[in-house]
Amino acid sequence: MKAFLPNESLIPWLKDLSSSLEVIAPVDVEGEAVYQTWKGQPPALVGNTLSSPIEVLMPRTEVLFRYVQDSGRYTFDEPKVPTRIVVGMKPCDLKAVAILDRIFGSEPTDHPYLAKRRSTLLVSLNCTDPGPWCFCAIMDSGPDAQEGFDLALTDIGSGYLAEAGSAAGVLLIKGCSSGLFLEADGSHEASRDILLENARSVMAEKYGDRSVGHLRRAIRSADWEYLGRQCLRCGGCSFICPVCHCFSIADLGVPDGERVRCRDTCLLSGFSRMTNGANPLGSIGERMRNWYLDKFEHLPERTGLIGCVGCGRCDEICLAQIDRWRLEVLDERSRQQRQQHK
Amino acid sequence: MKKILTTCVYCGCGCGLYLHVDEGKVIGASPSRKSAASRGKLCIKGWLSGDFVNHPDRLSYPMIQRGERQIRASWDEALSLVASGLKGMGPSAVGVLTSAKGTNEENYLFSKLARAGFKTNNVDHVARLCHAPTVAGLSYAFGSGATTNPISSLEEADAILVVGSNTTEQHPLVASYVLKARSKGAKLIVADPRRTQIASLADIHISPRPGTDVAWINSLLNSIIKEGLADRDFITKRTMGFEAVKESVLSYAPEIVEAICGVPAEVLREAALAYGSADKASIIYAMGITQHTTGTDNVQALANLALATGNLGRPGTGLYPLRGHQNVQGACDMGALPDLYPGYQKVVDANARAKFEKGWSTKLPKGPGLTAVEMIQSAETGKIKGLLIIGENPMVSYPDRSSVQRALEKLEFLAVCDIFPTETSKLADVVLPAASFAEKEGTFTSTERRIQRIRKAVDPPGESRSEWEVAAELLRRLGVPGDYSSPAEVMEEISSMAPNYGGVTYRRLGAASLQWPCPSRDHPGTGIMYIEKFPIGLARFRPVDHMEPVEGPDGEYPLLLTTGRSMYHFHTGTMTRRSPLLDREVPSPFVEVNSEDASRAGLRNGQKALVETRRGQLQLEVKVSPGVPKGILFMPFHFSEAPANLLTGASLDPSSKIPELKISAARLRKVSP
Repeated sequence: MKAFLPNESLIPWLKDLSSSLEVIAPVDVEGEAVYQTWKGQPPALVGNTLSSPIEVLMPRTEVLFRYVQDSGRYTFDEPKVPTRIVVGMKPCDLKAVAILDRIFGSEPTDHPYLAKRRSTLLVSLNCTDPGPWCFCAIMDSGPDAQEGFDLALTDIGSGYLAEAGSAAGVLLIKGCSSGLFLEADGSHEASRDILLENARSVMAEKYGDRSVGHLRRAIRSADWEYLGRQCLRCGGCSFICPVCHCFSIADLGVPDGERVRCRDTCLLSGFSRMTNGANPLGSIGERMRNWYLDKFEHLPERTGLIGCVGCGRCDEICLAQIDRWRLEVLDERSRQQRQQHK
Repeated sequence: MKKILTTCVYCGCGCGLYLHVDEGKVIGASPSRKSAASRGKLCIKGWLSGDFVNHPDRLSYPMIQRGERQIRASWDEALSLVASGLKGMGPSAVGVLTSAKGTNEENYLFSKLARAGFKTNNVDHVARLCHAPTVAGLSYAFGSGATTNPISSLEEADAILVVGSNTTEQHPLVASYVLKARSKGAKLIVADPRRTQIASLADIHISPRPGTDVAWINSLLNSIIKEGLADRDFITKRTMGFEAVKESVLSYAPEIVEAICGVPAEVLREAALAYGSADKASIIYAMGITQHTTGTDNVQALANLALATGNLGRPGTGLYPLRGHQNVQGACDMGALPDLYPGYQKVVDANARAKFEKGWSTKLPKGPGLTAVEMIQSAETGKIKGLLIIGENPMVSYPDRSSVQRALEKLEFLAVCDIFPTETSKLADVVLPAASFAEKEGTFTSTERRIQRIRKAVDPPGESRSEWEVAAELLRRLGVPGDYSSPAEVMEEISSMAPNYGGVTYRRLGAASLQWPCPSRDHPGTGIMYIEKFPIGLARFRPVDHMEPVEGPDGEYPLLLTTGRSMYHFHTGTMTRRSPLLDREVPSPFVEVNSEDASRAGLRNGQKALVETRRGQLQLEVKVSPGVPKGILFMPFHFSEAPANLLTGASLDPSSKIPELKISAARLRKVSP
């Protein structure tokens, strides 16, 4: 089902949604778009946010349960799962959800993830204006969402073309106050196709030399010891990645407290270190290599999907002047030459 | 679910970040693209900076000592005790240690509390243990003791000299700009006895014997002058006193210095050439320069180097004393120092005193007060009887722990305000629970003089309060006028009293930031200092000579122990050791030893060793590391279960009174299992 949401109807529609659901949308905080609970402000549906809205399903830290000790007996209390709708999720992040669904959905299934996944509706926004780091088109995860959304929007200037991807998506269009959505016509779809084709060619021009095969070769030939010496060990490439999903568990509080899990990073030596001190991934270079192998070799084997969605966030946040695709220490001069050449 | 834009609480880089909040709790942190300093990047501690906020160990109500125990009390009772307890001792017997972790507004109010409330200039903070020599040395040389250029300016340097700074681990954001410059072709020279990560990335690594910095820096200047690389024009127009320095470095030829510091003359010459021949050269330094009895001289030696080559007042040049705490710069700016009022106005200057007496509507004490280490030493002799300690943990961070403990136990009254119970708060008569950076409003000033806001993301736990509220309440109880309803109001007072903050208001700060000096409301702030002139007119050279450290190795204690930090922990670990990932990364204390010294002691990697100095002994795990030269032991000081400062001594630099934390004679033994 397709429909057209004029610009002036966007806020009324979000208001409508927020009467029954917690709406999570990008809003402007001191000049930067970040995802948070929408409270009536104009949504900042532009560009890609630095923090992925995947945090709704996979928060940096979450309470698994609270434990209370009473006369030697423990009782446990699981937190309530909020009912949410994410509006504006980009196709790259949506692709990450597809990967996570396969990981957390396979046996043994991950209850905390799936509970949130089931109670969250996803409204994606196709990417008509890719950011400087974006290469989703190369990774086949954008600029338009293929599947996994309840509703997919495309900003075509005068408003949004809305396409339902699930029964819930149909309800999102039909169930809201009348008059907000108009009928979509062929011209809306034609505009969408032109805009997306343009986005695709922008990325192809900039990052056409990237491919999974190229990266796999780079993993084999990279000087990992050299890259490891350059890495500033911030772990940001894991924390920012919408596909990275490793976590660590800690009990905070004795005798009462909370069992929490927090997103972890394999760049830390403590991630793979054994209790006797031995570490199968002893150097930072080996751990970086492992980060890449997981995304480009292991995840494809496990899920059938490449573990990189082309969002470019790890490139953007890298502290250490590492070309994360060529797997070389970044040389500004050659990079500038390369960009001029383009 | 919401995100609050704020400023990181760990090191002095001043990175902007969002705290992620859900259900009224901080659940994470992520970088801000708009941050002028960090531009969408963070280090590992920054990414995990929200971790400690929710920790169940947080102090959540005031406590007072009753017999052997600390029991819960009301704020009213606790504050009355602090006000009356300290006031009653008389001005010369009271001291206040403020916090480099607190905001500018809080440091200003505590500085005011000491001076206007308790009538004492005995107010100081942890800068005494880090950059006191910078404030003393650079104030003399340039007229201002702070980083001269913005961090981003490093990107434009043709050569960067990093001295005694483990930049990649302690100031990763600064390191990222060093790496940027390097990838554009800048020469990187690193001086550190240890082969740290940044030393391994350097074009030239100088590994001097600890305590010989003046000698090798003078030798660089010797070669620069000899090779004709000195900037005669800059020296003539902008400086004074060059001839005396030129004369004094004559005796520091590389061959002579090689014998003093063990660095090959060729390496010294090469380094001199790299720094001296660069069009734009920067110097980065940290505790490896300052924590010596020659700290102020070390700083002056670096200033001499920059002045002689004209490397000041332009992009890509300058001196970067890297600040360890996120607001140690601000605490200095706010006059949390015994000899300076807010804005570096001298306590001994009658005009400055008159200005503050008028502004604060009260009489103020004359003459500088005691420094932090002197206060502790005076407590041991009974001269100081009462201390108010805000967010500091001298039991772990100050030199010679045993004497610190004796001193604190001897006090008649000790009040501690902190976010977690610490080894210091356990000794207190009154413990006041404080709000963390995520629970209050205020401003921090980063190492590049950048004033930035922090914002309240969540409510403080239990009854804990912001320190500015505590200070304001104590001021009221001591009868000092000043009724503050918010930190913004405190900033208004600061801008009226401290000329370098004259143009700073919360309205202007918004999402942006201002770098001081910012003297007026229409002033844009100052990125690069000294473009046209120095605050003192002409910059001052001063000849400095090599002096051996107070406690060198000898027959009894043949090794040299130096202390420092780990990338994954901060200071005394009260915050980072409560972050699951950071604590897991470096869970226990260790001593790094060269393989030769280890095998001489019969030690293998991972075994327990006994490290002894004249102050005490510690048992801890040995890490055999090729990065530590023969004869040197390295130990981080974060761990209260094996506090490195049980071993360090408190010999002071005569001018800045910083203790020589970097050098202690030590010996190493295997612990029989």
